[in-house]
Amino acid sequence: MDSIYGQYAYTLQLVMADIVSHIREYSEEEKDKHGEMTYEHLIYRIKSDDSMREKCDRKGLPQTAYAALYDIHDAIGLRIVCRFIDDIYVNIEHIRDIPGCSVIEEKDYIKNVKPNGYRSYHMIIRLETPYEDVTGQVPGSFFIEIQLRTIAMDSWASLEHQMKYKHDIQNPELIVRELKRCADELAACDVSMQTIRNLIRGGR
Amino acid sequence: MKILLAEDERDMSAAITAVLKHFDYDVDAVYDGVAAVAQASKKAYDCMVFDIMMPRLDGVEALKQIRQSGDVTPVIMLTAKAEVDDRITGLDAGADDYLTKPFAMGELLARLRSLTRRDRRFTKSRLSYGTVELNVEEQELSCKSSIRLSNKETKLMKLLMLNAGKAFETAALAERIWKNEADVDHGIVWVYISYLREKLEAIGADVQIVGHKGGAFILTAAETAD
Repeated sequence: MDSIYGQYAYTLQLVMADIVSHIREYSEEEKDKHGEMTYEHLIYRIKSDDSMREKCDRKGLPQTAYAALYDIHDAIGLRIVCRFIDDIYVNIEHIRDIPGCSVIEEKDYIKNVKPNGYRSYHMIIRLETPYEDVTGQVPGSFFIEIQLRTIAMDSWASLEHQMKYKHDIQNPELIVRELKRCADELAACDVSMQTIRNLIRGGR
Repeated sequence: MKILLAEDERDMSAAITAVLKHFDYDVDAVYDGVAAVAQASKKAYDCMVFDIMMPRLDGVEALKQIRQSGDVTPVIMLTAKAEVDDRITGLDAGADDYLTKPFAMGELLARLRSLTRRDRRFTKSRLSYGTVELNVEEQELSCKSSIRLSNKETKLMKLLMLNAGKAFETAALAERIWKNEADVDHGIVWVYISYLREKLEAIGADVQIVGHKGGAFILTAAETAD
């Protein structure tokens, strides 16, 4: 079967490479200025053909490139994993300043923690590129989903993800409660480490 | 240690104050029940000593109001020897101990030492101030979201919440919270106040800790602080 992305499959790779190089660029600048990169891990992927088709079905959309690239916004997905909470917000400001970038949607699940303990910052951006997009426009725009987390939030999220997809857990309510407690304890460590870094940097 | 003395007989008050000061207690003396309630809400004391018979508001009534406001500071009542009822009503109103007049100063000093030594067994396990709640057992601080605190952070937060609006010097906090550790560096107080400040912000709290490194700290509502 052909990719749901059709003629845009290769373009998506180019767009992803573009945004990744922008992010690497500002991070190198920050490193020159402050000695530290703005992130620990930069992970990126184009959503697989199977996943995207399944998502179209789930949302009651036809399995077309238009649905995948215009109605749905996470064909290109990035995850920026940082050492400190403040670094997340530094990245967000740099992303806003990327030329041709506009922020379509953002959700702060760090200030507004989900009931299960999930913490993260989600952004959907639209990037103007020299390539033709699915609406036929040139220069065309592409949506990119960006998730920003600390290392601790990321570890917790993968454990929670595992738990969600396992169907034979004993005492699931107990596990859910303990996962929430862990999330809050990890958040406490994140905040404490941020505090220590501020104290060290402020010279206090 | 800070003592609030509420005794209307000036000579008696001066005598008690002199002895307490000689033994390195800091004493604030008031002369009626209304002043006692007002002073107790302004400053945090380690112990309070109240006479029962006082003008404007008697010692038992003053104590009831103080306990009702959530103040758990230990209180010794000074009662007349013949009046058993005074002792009963005093203890039931929330006094921790009593001394009948006339009493030996040595005994007052011993009972002060005894009370300030004790665990506060009747403190609530959940405290709240503003929209912030501290679950002491779970060491969990919550407001718009929740976060966990370490053992010392919990003790410090609990102290500040039980005494909201009252100032604590850095040295006093070091003594109360890190009392078991010999020669603790007072810098630890600033680090832990900093932790609590960041955590309060992280959970979206409407309260804040005001104060500078090495100085005095107060927990207050966020809007009223400058």
